[in-house]
Amino acid sequence: MAFLTLEGVSKEFGTFTAVRDVDLKIDKGEFVSLLGPSGCGKTTTLQMIAGLVEPTQGRISLDGRDITHEKPNRRGLGVVFQSYALFPHMTVAQNVAFGLEMRRVPQAERTKRVREALSLVQLSSFADRYPRQLSGGQRQRVAIARALVIAPPVLLLDEPLSNLDAKLREEMQFELRRIQRKVGTTTIMVTHDQAEALSISDRVVVMEGGCMTQVDAPYRLYEQPSNAFISSFVGKTNLLAGTWRRNGASSAVDIGGVLLEATAKDIPAATPVTLSIRPEKILLREAGTGRLDGRIASRFFLGSQWLFTVDTPVGIVTVSAPNQGGEPPEEGSAVGLDWSPANLRVIADTAVAA
Amino acid sequence: MQKNGPVALIFHTLVLAFVLAPLVIICLVAFTPENTLSLPTTGLSLRWFKAVFAHPDFVTSFWNSIWLATLSATLAIALAVPAGLAISRYTFPGRDFMNALFLSPLIIPHLVLGVAFLRLFALLGATGSFAWLVATHIIVVTPYVLRLVLAALSGLDRSAEQAARTLGAGEWTAFRRITAPMILPGITGGWLLAFINSFDELTMSIFVTSPATVTLPVRMYMYATESIDPMMAAVSTLMIAITAIAMLVLDRAFGLDRILVGQR
Repeated sequence: MAFLTLEGVSKEFGTFTAVRDVDLKIDKGEFVSLLGPSGCGKTTTLQMIAGLVEPTQGRISLDGRDITHEKPNRRGLGVVFQSYALFPHMTVAQNVAFGLEMRRVPQAERTKRVREALSLVQLSSFADRYPRQLSGGQRQRVAIARALVIAPPVLLLDEPLSNLDAKLREEMQFELRRIQRKVGTTTIMVTHDQAEALSISDRVVVMEGGCMTQVDAPYRLYEQPSNAFISSFVGKTNLLAGTWRRNGASSAVDIGGVLLEATAKDIPAATPVTLSIRPEKILLREAGTGRLDGRIASRFFLGSQWLFTVDTPVGIVTVSAPNQGGEPPEEGSAVGLDWSPANLRVIADTAVAA
Repeated sequence: MQKNGPVALIFHTLVLAFVLAPLVIICLVAFTPENTLSLPTTGLSLRWFKAVFAHPDFVTSFWNSIWLATLSATLAIALAVPAGLAISRYTFPGRDFMNALFLSPLIIPHLVLGVAFLRLFALLGATGSFAWLVATHIIVVTPYVLRLVLAALSGLDRSAEQAARTLGAGEWTAFRRITAPMILPGITGGWLLAFINSFDELTMSIFVTSPATVTLPVRMYMYATESIDPMMAAVSTLMIAITAIAMLVLDRAFGLDRILVGQR
């Protein structure tokens, strides 16, 4: 029995369907991300779980209890808002204590739990500050402490890191995961940042146009995206349009006359397909020794790796290679591209349109 | 910050002078020892201030006005805050009508309102009652409060209130503990504007006050129609002084910026 269940949940705003028929089962202690571009319905889904938006259809249950129409203050879930939503007229300690106060927790215990929550997010010395005196990252941690202090069965995070700068965001990702591991709270995070979703979640739910399109562990989502949208949204990839050819035991994708060997199940011959290959799965070789020849069009140094764009007969292909310390091929030089055919993903174009 | 050019400086100086000059002049005139409205040239005297306190009806009217302004501003808040919440957060039939109705006193001349109320009170037999006077002032000052409350609500991040709800606060508690303190600058600003407007109101009050409820502006008007002497300047000076002191106290206690602009 799943801990939190969404069954056929939909939300319509007038004639616009923001969320369509979402079915989701989340286990106790799991960290699940809702990932998608803006307007895909991920925040609306989160708000329906929180009780801030009422579903048009469907059922939401928590630990066997139907909470579909329960008021947000009766659900007892912890919510961290994108804007953090701290109470500006209260100190950090008062902010964190608010949920306990509402629960009529005695003063002594309240003080103790606030202290614990603040030490969990490493803000013990900031208890008497006002939110306006804190940095973005500190505010964010206050919001987490405030949501966790009430010991919620589920923690809901709405784009918790999007207002932070890049370096801080990376730190806070690990911090979030550390806190979640330590407390063991079932957590649902909404994000549009695939790197964020992949790095800290147990499972990722991809949403597109109000629908769930894939629910998988991060590495499976990355290696086996179910459609071209997901493969380009989750990580970087080369997408090449072609036609599926099958000849007895061998099969290949035909891209403008160039045949690239690949395998795929259940795709009829002559179907239009999209071939997806990740930049880091392509190896640079001497010209003429790879599966495909090309010429380096440009190269970018990213520190830990090099990024090349290679002009090939099938179009521009992006290749990334780890920085080994030496000088890589010059712009304009001829190279060969090689890969393991198992790393090619062939996606029928019907799935792309879906 | 960009530095002001000479033309801008001259312009600002002229605007300030235009605003302040009449106030400065009336304050100076109040100290004249002469019998006419004139700048004190021969010496300074407090005789006209003494004259004010020798008129007990002025003192009574002053307190009338203070009570009237306090009551009508406070009751206007009680009316405008729920109305503002309803107008800014919900769509319901009659919402635009309600908004227009609350703001309409702004576009109706006070003279018209005064005549209309005079007639209405005569029909109701309510002439001369202080409660009815308060009611008319509430109508006149509510638009100011409503505007400021609406402005405060429109700039408000509702997620703070939602956060309070998810933390276990009921709707009323969330309003009282979170929303109300956050829109307090709008409410206080609205109250002050309402107070000042009610305290100042002359045109309508002339029609709806009775001898027992004469407000200070009406008293001054009645006095001025009979005789023009520097006592008017003394009363004005006292009013300016009281307002200035009130503002100063408010600024020291809460900070005017915070109350009126919501700066933190």
